[in-house]
Amino acid sequence: MRYFVARVIQALIVVWAVGTLVFFMLRAVPGDPIQALLADVDPTAADVIRAKLGLDQPVWVQYILWMRNTLAGDLGQSLYGSHQEVSQQIAEAIPRTVSLALVAFLISFTLGLTAGIVSAVKRDSIFDYGFNLAAFLGISMPSFWIGIVLIIVFAVNLRWFPSIGYKPMSAGLDQWLRYLILPGLAVGLPFSASIARLTRSAMLEVLGQDYITVARAKGLNEKRVIFRHALRNALIPVVTVMGISLALLFSGSVVVENVFAIKGLGRVLIQSILNRDYPVVQGSILLVAVLLVFMNLAVDMLYRLIDPRISYD
Amino acid sequence: MNRHLNKLIANLTKQERERVDEAYRDAYDFDPADPLFGLSKDEISGPQLSRRSFLRLVAASGGSLSLSHVLGAAGIALPAAARVAAQTGGHLICGWAGTAEITTLDPAVINAVLQFQVASNVLSGLTHINADLVAEGDLATDWTVSDDGLVWTFNLREGVTWHNGDAFSAADVVYTYNRSKNPENSIHSGNLINVLDVVALDDFTVQLSLERPQASLLVKTLERSSGRAMTIVNGNAIESMGLQEYGLKPIGTGPFRVTEHQLGQGVVLERFDDYYDPARPVVDKVTIIPIPEIEPLAAAIETGDIHFIGGNAVAAELIDRFLANPDLVVDEIAGNGFQSVFVNPWREPMMVESFDPSVDELKQQNGFKVRLALAKAFDRERFIQRALFGRGVPGFGTINPAMGFYFDTAINETSEQRFDVEAAQALLAEAGYPNGEGFPTLKLLTTPAGRRAAEVMVDIYRNNLNIELELDVKDFTVLIEDAFRMEYDLMALGSGGDFDPDDGLVDWMQTTSRFNGPNRNDDDLVEIYGERPFGSFSDARVDALVDEQAVTADPEARKVLVQEANQITSDKVASIFTHHLTEILVHRAEVTVPPAGRIVGLRDLDRVYFN
Repeated sequence: MRYFVARVIQALIVVWAVGTLVFFMLRAVPGDPIQALLADVDPTAADVIRAKLGLDQPVWVQYILWMRNTLAGDLGQSLYGSHQEVSQQIAEAIPRTVSLALVAFLISFTLGLTAGIVSAVKRDSIFDYGFNLAAFLGISMPSFWIGIVLIIVFAVNLRWFPSIGYKPMSAGLDQWLRYLILPGLAVGLPFSASIARLTRSAMLEVLGQDYITVARAKGLNEKRVIFRHALRNALIPVVTVMGISLALLFSGSVVVENVFAIKGLGRVLIQSILNRDYPVVQGSILLVAVLLVFMNLAVDMLYRLIDPRISYD
Repeated sequence: MNRHLNKLIANLTKQERERVDEAYRDAYDFDPADPLFGLSKDEISGPQLSRRSFLRLVAASGGSLSLSHVLGAAGIALPAAARVAAQTGGHLICGWAGTAEITTLDPAVINAVLQFQVASNVLSGLTHINADLVAEGDLATDWTVSDDGLVWTFNLREGVTWHNGDAFSAADVVYTYNRSKNPENSIHSGNLINVLDVVALDDFTVQLSLERPQASLLVKTLERSSGRAMTIVNGNAIESMGLQEYGLKPIGTGPFRVTEHQLGQGVVLERFDDYYDPARPVVDKVTIIPIPEIEPLAAAIETGDIHFIGGNAVAAELIDRFLANPDLVVDEIAGNGFQSVFVNPWREPMMVESFDPSVDELKQQNGFKVRLALAKAFDRERFIQRALFGRGVPGFGTINPAMGFYFDTAINETSEQRFDVEAAQALLAEAGYPNGEGFPTLKLLTTPAGRRAAEVMVDIYRNNLNIELELDVKDFTVLIEDAFRMEYDLMALGSGGDFDPDDGLVDWMQTTSRFNGPNRNDDDLVEIYGERPFGSFSDARVDALVDEQAVTADPEARKVLVQEANQITSDKVASIFTHHLTEILVHRAEVTVPPAGRIVGLRDLDRVYFN
């Protein structure tokens, strides 16, 4: 328990540090959001708007205001367009990102684990070579390229799936999935390749251990040896990577979201950075930091379930 | 041209052809100095103009007459398919190119063409430009102007309903003016600087008082889409909905009402049954999806996932592919903007401290020689082929081809900037850089989207002048900051959505223009460079000409002033004018965009229908 509390405190400090760093870095980099806002209109209005948005205050005053509001749960408003609440922008983006992340995770988990186990168990077989080649390709190909190829093959030529867009689950599970299959594959395939490579090497290491030989000598069924004795021990590094992968997926897949015209967290973040939309950048990065830090914490806690020998006391 | 019109023209009888010719002749048969353009006062007044009067006014205001206008005036019925068809209904799905979201639809904060393309379907103005870039009444039915050009009285359309059921009246126009003139509320307050007051004379009459006459009032300030300062908004709705919600789903009086808008996921518009023109809109529903990437946009229209492309310009590399696809229609017309490379006159080796001397006098200065050498060495045809796949026309000034009447290709031959590589090399040599030797490497500032075109420019200068340019690629937010502070050597920048000569000349070419380095004298810069009286260009004669054309109502007289200003800015290399983009509309073949709905720069969807 003490360990857990200490880790939570550590996590909170990291989140604060990230937020503070982002706040000051944003103001240090070139690019004035107000001039971008007024790009094709009247620059003389800049001072009025800057004052209205509080950007005429000294940076430290802006920082204190931002901290105070953030602690009160108010992430502020976008500097652009209709000045939508940052929390609303994030709240709208989260279901799309989570949906995409879940489908991608399911694809990467299923393909990666299966390919990794089969490669390790059937080492040096045609399956092993085949999966290895596929994994290398998966790691080497950028996800936006995979996305475009998937669109050309499955949307343009075969017309099996829509080329762009997103339907919420409320439109029906089939529609939700139909729109997520291609982007899910585009995001999931490179991850599955990494998981396959990692699972294979971890499994090979475990399968060479004495206790596996003993289990087989005891006459245990091979399935039981692999899934109960080998896989469980091999999973620790895989779970670590999968935990981080899931956190990254939840932070949004910028490129794939752009390719499939889905406005998830990644797109919110990249758009706000390009516009120098300070409140949205700060809010989004804070959320990403929370996700990554606490997902890491969750993974650490999960180790204990996988391997009861691990203790945090 | 519409294939139905082509067929009709081919089948005209001799008498019908004569009537068409007569209609054309009659439209242009007037004395430009006549303030009534050869029409009687009765012919001009009233809510309805005769076809003859309408054609005359279109011609007089500088617009180009479309064939469908003239056929109608000649008493020849258009084929059913060439008119707005009776076929109604359907769900039109549009992809908005090159954008991740349609940030706002509130005219007070709209800052991009792709936003007002949507808003123009939802909100109305007192006027709206037609396909010939001539202002027609929108919420105004007709108007009169005082002899001194300072007081404009508009009669408003009666029986117009807002999307929330409110009745439209003159009070809404006054509310919009009061809201827009305040810079705290509207980023377009500067567009109303010449409007002293707007008052409601009664429920359906408003009067505008101007500080000085303004030729572009109807086309620029009061226009429903491009002006944005006087796009009429509903005060009650703003108050009850709040600015955030109004920005996403504005209540307007336009042909469509917004029923859904999620940032980044798109906008859903539905037919407004109480729109003042019962024949419009033709489709029941429109969904607009922002699609930032090129290839997915292409895939979406090729598969039929979308029917119509709006938003930013379609990437030039896709056009030939679309043209080869029989399922798609590609319609290319003159674009309404200019593109250029600004040359910083405050930096060596292209320094010019004053552009007021004559061109011949300027040619004695090394800094000007370098500027002119850069302009003359720019091979526009080669650039357009290589960078734009042929989708553009050479540019020599801010006046664009879509302006029709004001645009004159004679400048291609008369401009000092016309392509002449030997002369450019000679100028560079005279400036002290024979064969480019010793010429410093200049930085060319551009955006990530402009990188490809900038690389072609670099190559052209390497080949033609043996000089090196280094790309300086910055996000637009950073580039515009550098532009306003004059912190660049060369900068590729241009303008779009220019419907009136003022858009290029007033906004860019005057000493006080909004884009003429407005932040050049920030304190830190003054410490380094001292006070600088202008940004990228300043010429006393141009300032005077631009001021004069802005208050000249007679189109012929205005054209002369505009042409002279355009010529001077070109000859004195206010910037290296490179090209005008063509405007390309792409849609599925099962969709028809009638000629009246094809307004350059806009995507008015109220006339679009499914075949």
